[in-house]
Amino acid sequence: MRLLTRALTVISMLGGMTAGTQVLAEPFKVGVCYDLSKAYTFATPQVSQAALDLAKLINKKGGIGGEPVEVIVRDHGNEPQRGIECYSRLSREGVFVFDTLSTPVSLAILPRAMEDGRILMQSLVGRGDAVDGTVFDWVYPIGPTYWGQAANDVAYIKQLHDGDLSDVKVGFVYFDYPFGQEPIEILQTLSEKEGFELELYPVPLPGSDQAGVWSKVRRDKPDHVIVWMLGGAHVVASKEMQRNRIPMEKYISVNWLNEVDIANIGNEAAIGLKRGTNVVGGQDVALRQEMITELYDKGEGSGPLEKTEDVFYNTGLAMYSIVFEAARRAAEAEGLPITAQSYKAALETLEDYDANGLMAPITVTAEDHGGGGKTRIEMWDGETWVPQTDWISEYSDVVWDVVKESSSKYGE
Amino acid sequence: MFFRLSGVHHANYVSDSRVFKIPADRNLAMFVFLFGLAAPFIVPSLYLNSYMLPWLIWTAAALGLNLVTGWAGQLHLGYAAVMAVGAYSAIHAVRFGIPWEFALIIGGLSSSVIGSLFAFAALRVKGLYLALTTLAMQFVMDWVLTHSPAITGGSHASLQSPTLALLGQEITSDAGYYYVAFGWCVLVTIFMLNLKRTGLGRALVAVREKDFAAAILGVNSFYYKILAFATSSFIAGVSGALLVATFFFLAAPEQFSVTVSIQVLAMVIVGGLGSIIGSYFGVALILLVPGVVNGLFSTASQSLGMQINVETLAHIPNAVYGALIVVILLIEPLGLGKLYGNIRDYLMVWPFDQLRK
Repeated sequence: MRLLTRALTVISMLGGMTAGTQVLAEPFKVGVCYDLSKAYTFATPQVSQAALDLAKLINKKGGIGGEPVEVIVRDHGNEPQRGIECYSRLSREGVFVFDTLSTPVSLAILPRAMEDGRILMQSLVGRGDAVDGTVFDWVYPIGPTYWGQAANDVAYIKQLHDGDLSDVKVGFVYFDYPFGQEPIEILQTLSEKEGFELELYPVPLPGSDQAGVWSKVRRDKPDHVIVWMLGGAHVVASKEMQRNRIPMEKYISVNWLNEVDIANIGNEAAIGLKRGTNVVGGQDVALRQEMITELYDKGEGSGPLEKTEDVFYNTGLAMYSIVFEAARRAAEAEGLPITAQSYKAALETLEDYDANGLMAPITVTAEDHGGGGKTRIEMWDGETWVPQTDWISEYSDVVWDVVKESSSKYGE
Repeated sequence: MFFRLSGVHHANYVSDSRVFKIPADRNLAMFVFLFGLAAPFIVPSLYLNSYMLPWLIWTAAALGLNLVTGWAGQLHLGYAAVMAVGAYSAIHAVRFGIPWEFALIIGGLSSSVIGSLFAFAALRVKGLYLALTTLAMQFVMDWVLTHSPAITGGSHASLQSPTLALLGQEITSDAGYYYVAFGWCVLVTIFMLNLKRTGLGRALVAVREKDFAAAILGVNSFYYKILAFATSSFIAGVSGALLVATFFFLAAPEQFSVTVSIQVLAMVIVGGLGSIIGSYFGVALILLVPGVVNGLFSTASQSLGMQINVETLAHIPNAVYGALIVVILLIEPLGLGKLYGNIRDYLMVWPFDQLRK
């Protein structure tokens, strides 16, 4: 008890100090409560660096509505209660736009954000059915759901086979917990609809032992393998594929695969590997180039330059381009200060917005908070990512059936 | 000075079996209790809701684990799994239409049944083997939760908790949630304080110290071990249900994963095995200090205008926190509860004790 009260006094004193030094104008703030120390560290450093860089660039150009913007990055160590603490603390500092980039924390914050009327951006994480804006008013998972992404992977395979999937066998290798299990339902539905054969290969966490899985894949000889795994598990998979002589071309990964994984797989060995994505991979992106000339060449970057040579940096740029574009529109439409209401309205005006060719064009509406869920398939050619398809969003009726079925259960 | 212990004590059975043997202890407990009652009016809502509330519920849970690990001496690595059983069965019971009061009890009882069922098998082995068996229970439960949508709900296995209502009153305010947590924690604390004074408590200690010696004295060690598992599982179940009902508002498997089990065990060990006040301190250290230290570091670096990389900033508090645990356990291997006890004993008859030396 005493320990706590003492800790509380120290914090409140420190809080008082910072309140005294605060500038008068209230800037637009984004609460970036990320897991920078535990499970999601394969992506969070790059994404948060992109967020900070983007805020710097915007402030250099005069901010939004003449006011500077601020990105507040805090670590929650992937623990729901610390995520809630981060959310509550920043809420009281006037933040109403949050992102967690962590499924457990996003799930924990969602009921509070819905209750308090604060925006929860949860691109690529959290419950997929939150794209249903009629149920989840305050949640914006802009970008593809895993359901949509898997459906687009099937659409790509269909393209490869000239529109006929009847003799095709698709393997699905996935982490055997909710993240990996999510696409199964949609894949099964599509397998019935398109007539391809679906084989499921669950991988026990943490994915460091996949020997059994890939020898089974070798026996079953699927034409393509859709993979729902993260980080180091891709490297293990590639080793097992080499051992079983399964060509890398068959591998279609979820968006969570980056240049670090490529380097670990081995650049030569990774040629032909594919991933679904909603952002353009590689360094030949206008916004990323601008970051280099405006910030990194002048030594003002928010982190090491290597981290910008990573597709997750592009992902971060895409996520926060949306966040700041909505803020800009809100300031334009209803002036400063931006409120949660005006911000929400501005998000829903986004139409075919692609942040200058950085990502799949998104159109957010009051019904579709996912922005359309477009993705494309890119292939690693040894140097960069080569697009294999246009931005597509196929089977959206099937995807939305799953979304509606799931979202209707919320709040029951 | 504070404790004013003088004269002859423990002269009869009644005074020896009091909960608080020294008036100062009772007064301190009273003061803390009153502070707890008044907290919603004194403590800012941020601290009330994101620090004190989870702290109290986790303390109740940690006390339950302390019963089986600290009192009965059985290492338990699957405690979070037992909490999950309680949480999920309570939520499903409420969704089925049963009022919360009964749902909480159902949650506790089902935890109790599953916890002691496992104990039945697990208690055929001892020590480290038992620890491993309980760990196995954790993994079994993890697997069951991630593979049964019927239990864990739909999208991303998250199950919405219905609004908490007790005695016909819907609870939706911060203060309301806090009082529920506070009430439960006080109940568990009173139970644990009294446990020491009962035959059950003495039997558990006897089993902990040497189970076959206890058997020679006529204490059925297997029975008491099962009883300890059942009781602690009941506390775990209700705590798990309340954690979801008042804090998370939805249940997800990650909230009850193996890391959580290890965290609760760390709370009990850092706090002190068999120490009640230690459990309070232990939970504060394991649950709250990472966040507090993290907040301190980011505010400090911000106000000093230091340009620290966000990643470094996230790892420094972890290092500090880890070092803190090591230092505390080096200073006092018996945990924070014992550390508090040392200070209390030092001041017991201060300054006369010091004069004599």
